[in-house]
Amino acid sequence: MRRPIAAVAGVAAGVLALVAAGCGGGGSTSGVQGASHTITAGKKGGTITILSNGDVDHIDPGAAYYQFTYAITYVTQRPLLAYKPNSIQPTPDLASSMPTVSKDGKTVTVHIRPGIKFSPPVNRVVTSADVKYAIERGFDAAVGNGYAGAYFGVIQGAPTKIGNSVPNISGIQTPNKTTIVFKLSQPSGIFVSGLQEPLTAPVPADYARKFDKGKSSSYGNHQVATGPYMIQNNAAGTITGYTPGRQIVLVRNPNWNPKTSWRPAYADKIVFKEGFDPTVGTKQILSGQADANGDFPPPAANMKQIESNSSQKPELDFTPTAGSRFVALNTQKPPFNNKYVRMAVAYVLDRNAMRLTRGGAIDGKIATHFIDPSFGSHGFNQAGGYGYNPFPSANNSGDVAKAEAMLKKAGFKSGKYTGPQVTQVADNVAPGSNTAAVVANSLQKIGFNVKTISVQHAAMYTRFCGVPKNAPNICPNVGWLADFHEPQADLDANFDGTNILPANNVNWSQLNDPAINKLMAKAKLELNSEKRWAEWGQIDKMITASAAAIPWIWEDSPTLYSPKVTHATELWNGGEPDVSFMSVK
Amino acid sequence: MGAYIVRRTLWALLLLVVVSFLTFVIFNVFPSADPAALRAGRNATPALVHQIRINLGLNKPFYTQFWIYFKGLVEHFNLGYSYYNSESVKSEIFSRLPATISVTVGGFIVWMLIGIPVGIVSAIRPRSILDRVMMGGSLVAISAPVYFLGLVSLFLFAKGTGQLQWFGAAGSYVPITQNVGVWFNSLVLPWLTLAAAFAAFYARMTRGNLIETMHEDYIRTARAKGLRESRVITKHGLRAALTPIVTMAGMDIGLLLGGAILTEIVFNIPGIGRYAYDAIVNSDLPAIQGTVLFGAFFIVFANLVVDIMYAFLDPRVTYG
Amino acid sequence: MALLEIEDLHVSFKTMDGVVRAVEGVSLSLDPRKTLGVVGESGSGKSVTAQTIIGLTRFPNATITGRILFDGHDLVTMSTDDLRAIRGARIAMIFQDPLSSLHPFFKVGHQIVEAIRVHEDIPRDVARKRTIEALRSVGIPSPEERFDSFPHEMSGGMRQRAMIAMALALRPDILIADEPTTALDVTVQAQVLELIQALRDDFGTAVVLITHDLGVVAQMCDDVAVMYAGRVLEQAPREMLFTQPQHPYTWGLLQSIPRLDAPRTERLSPIAGSPPSLINAPRGCKFHPRCPYAPPPAFETEPELAPAEPGHLVRCHLPVEERRRVWQSLQQEHPVLR
Repeated sequence: MRRPIAAVAGVAAGVLALVAAGCGGGGSTSGVQGASHTITAGKKGGTITILSNGDVDHIDPGAAYYQFTYAITYVTQRPLLAYKPNSIQPTPDLASSMPTVSKDGKTVTVHIRPGIKFSPPVNRVVTSADVKYAIERGFDAAVGNGYAGAYFGVIQGAPTKIGNSVPNISGIQTPNKTTIVFKLSQPSGIFVSGLQEPLTAPVPADYARKFDKGKSSSYGNHQVATGPYMIQNNAAGTITGYTPGRQIVLVRNPNWNPKTSWRPAYADKIVFKEGFDPTVGTKQILSGQADANGDFPPPAANMKQIESNSSQKPELDFTPTAGSRFVALNTQKPPFNNKYVRMAVAYVLDRNAMRLTRGGAIDGKIATHFIDPSFGSHGFNQAGGYGYNPFPSANNSGDVAKAEAMLKKAGFKSGKYTGPQVTQVADNVAPGSNTAAVVANSLQKIGFNVKTISVQHAAMYTRFCGVPKNAPNICPNVGWLADFHEPQADLDANFDGTNILPANNVNWSQLNDPAINKLMAKAKLELNSEKRWAEWGQIDKMITASAAAIPWIWEDSPTLYSPKVTHATELWNGGEPDVSFMSVK
Repeated sequence: MGAYIVRRTLWALLLLVVVSFLTFVIFNVFPSADPAALRAGRNATPALVHQIRINLGLNKPFYTQFWIYFKGLVEHFNLGYSYYNSESVKSEIFSRLPATISVTVGGFIVWMLIGIPVGIVSAIRPRSILDRVMMGGSLVAISAPVYFLGLVSLFLFAKGTGQLQWFGAAGSYVPITQNVGVWFNSLVLPWLTLAAAFAAFYARMTRGNLIETMHEDYIRTARAKGLRESRVITKHGLRAALTPIVTMAGMDIGLLLGGAILTEIVFNIPGIGRYAYDAIVNSDLPAIQGTVLFGAFFIVFANLVVDIMYAFLDPRVTYG
Repeated sequence: MALLEIEDLHVSFKTMDGVVRAVEGVSLSLDPRKTLGVVGESGSGKSVTAQTIIGLTRFPNATITGRILFDGHDLVTMSTDDLRAIRGARIAMIFQDPLSSLHPFFKVGHQIVEAIRVHEDIPRDVARKRTIEALRSVGIPSPEERFDSFPHEMSGGMRQRAMIAMALALRPDILIADEPTTALDVTVQAQVLELIQALRDDFGTAVVLITHDLGVVAQMCDDVAVMYAGRVLEQAPREMLFTQPQHPYTWGLLQSIPRLDAPRTERLSPIAGSPPSLINAPRGCKFHPRCPYAPPPAFETEPELAPAEPGHLVRCHLPVEERRRVWQSLQQEHPVLR
């Protein structure tokens, strides 16, 4: 998960307008699943302008953890592995070939391409030690990387206590300048996939150490690049192309050698202009003043116009976001500690109405389990694909009769819930607040009296749903995006009962099912991807059937291009534009 | 007067302390997001969240946090560092100040140049067709939301998105020091948008004040002296009618210098208002605190200036 | 020949509530160096008459007919520009409340200088000297300093003196004083009246004195017109009016003057009832609803303003003998009318 799933503000009004107009936009999302967007070769030169509403999360590649930031990080930095835009399968980038894993799964060896150089002012050749340092600084609170523990904590010697210094991790070894060996404390099915995170992009220790000192690293403002582009800087190495909240200017990295990279890097310059109202930004893209949207979806009213305009419609790409939104039920306290009460909720929820609160079919498909269609053979099919739906209802509008049957099994003889009031903590703004209202309405049909506490979206996570002692009965506005297309990245954090934290908890249902825990533990160690994906598919079914959380939408992310550029939509990264593959026509 | 200014300044400083303390209290008492958890990300280990909490000083009781903040503010004029991206709040605010000043002062000039003459013309012939048209129009302008008006102006008159491509598009702002022409062109629509409601409001105020003033006995005296009606209006009438408007204008400028939030957002002008908005979206307390403090400073300062100005404008007012 | 001759003046204003007939057929005349008193309650039309003389009632909603002859010109039909040349310069006016009548934001001296320089193209410093002289002539101490005072820095009496200085700075032919003392303390009232009197005698300015106070009239005026509901009810030389008043309204006014010889405990007796609406005036004599002597014709037809004796005009249906009889009995019976 890179970011709270609904980070973009200002979309709400447009979505509601679309609902009022009764527009479904249904046709647009067909063919998304598994299909890659066409990417055409282009010509060199020109400037590409990407518009965004907000800023990147962290300009430091070691701290970046947000799809929009990744659109910049991956073209300026070269992690060991990376993705071609229309793929979900990692490809060697800094690495010269895919990593090799020992039979016991505890040693992973990676060779890096020789002769790759850092951008000015460092200018020297990248060595394996630079990769080691890059990962190690991820465990420094001054850098504050959000996923180092999750994907690299399995390395031997990885610190469990985090301080304000860069640790030396004994399990990262550099036998020579182009070889890096990871010694793991146990086999990990997703370790290799994790090597595509930007934390593995080299950082020159000799240059960076002085910036990493103290409580807050300033390397981000002095960073050097290995990718085809670099954030504009001055001779001293200080970044000049980044003004927080305003713009980020990428220029060509003079030390990048196209022969070592599969990125075509057509454009000479890329400007990320920030602070745009989504409506204004959309209009500017349509008018050709800018070339693509970075962090905001075009407002639904604009999407409707675009969809109905035959010349504009082809400029809009839809990409599944590799995740789902769901309603989490607190399994640790009554009434939802009772499986049948949860199942009653799963039956009665009007998922169609919930989806309408986000714009209807244009926002995505109704989810019937967790692993989303973009995973394809990486677990989606194994979880039953579109066919698996343990709580079906006509038009997905809820089935009161089946819900009442479940309540009867739970001991409510009338089929109506007669227990005490239940509480949900929800967003205080649309569309989340509307979704929560639908949840409350649905539950009312089977006798529930739902009290709604409305707070800021982030506060909902960090103060209520993510803190078990404050957790309400229902968290209607939660969701998760997988960091990459490994089902473990999609399901583990949310449903692993061995990992319920007192704060910053993401297992919002506090599901602690021994059978699920056991199968998860096994699947995590599984190195054979086919077997692993099959096991996770099974886990997905088990979680869904437990009704600890009820998924309701697999969202699609729209990417809009100007008529002046070729498309390059990142399937692996929620539809961000890949500026190293885009070109000016 | 000197003693008065000193006294008022001391009160203003106290007020600023209270405002920043209240911001702290509100942020801590009301359920806002946990900054450490936000900074660490949702997949972070508890160890990382713990250390970030310490680094941000969030592990200390909030009054201690406030004291540390307050000390930094008083001793080094340090407004702290963003929880979100560690940038210095002070340098962010100061770097954004020219944009906000550009929007506010330009908008102010536009609204005064439109509002006051319209008000005068309306007041001279109350209930005439011209008066009715202008006052009706002003009601529309007052009621139109800035956000909507901004979008409409962009889709009518901005380069790229407009029907008539006359003025700078959203996001085309550059500092005046960089290119005066581009600066001006990028600000025309924001100025007009910001000024619309204010001009309408000031026109109505001017009209009301002037009509009221023209019924005063001293206006009758001025006429009895044999003064030309134009002079009666412009000298005797406006002198009295505009005094409360001048003071109100001072207050409005003070308010807007704290950030013309909606205008800055629609037109993507990197000012303090935009920064304040982002700060709230990101639960970024130091940035919220900084923008609140700055806004409060401008309001308090404008108040003081207005009060002092009043003593010059209205000889009946004295401060001791 | 009269200096100012008002003939059959009618002034009405269109308002939301209806047409206000403020002045209905007033005729007055003022001779040089004389003082004409115009007496009446508020709403009697006396102030509107006075303001109409210099065109201060020329509002968009006003209708003005009749003639006001001054120096051979009709002020009613005169162009605004020509009238403005007369305002302040040849006919000056002072008002009831000197505080509200002076602009609060301008120095007093400056306001007088402005009045002078509107009419005379003289340098500022010359106008300043004349202003200081004018201030001195109305008895303001240290006028050089007072020149720079704001109205709120002066006492009420001083302010009215300053107003008079402003009015008289250009030596007008006529001074219209609209309730000049009403807002002032009793002691200051006498001083201001004396000042007006002295200036009239020194400069030969004719005065129109608008007041509701017959005591002031007795002290100041040569001729008196009593107004009610926009009409003149009685008009006579001062002596005649005070010794032989012929209109019941005048009797009522006279009975309500505080008398030095009457016992202190004696209550003043204002006339019972209130003045009529100027929008829907009663039929017949406008005073009949309040008149204890109204004969039957007064209910139906309005009496003409007719000469009762040479120089004495009265608008009343009562026969002349009856009026004399009633007035005599009133005086003998009791100084106070019930």
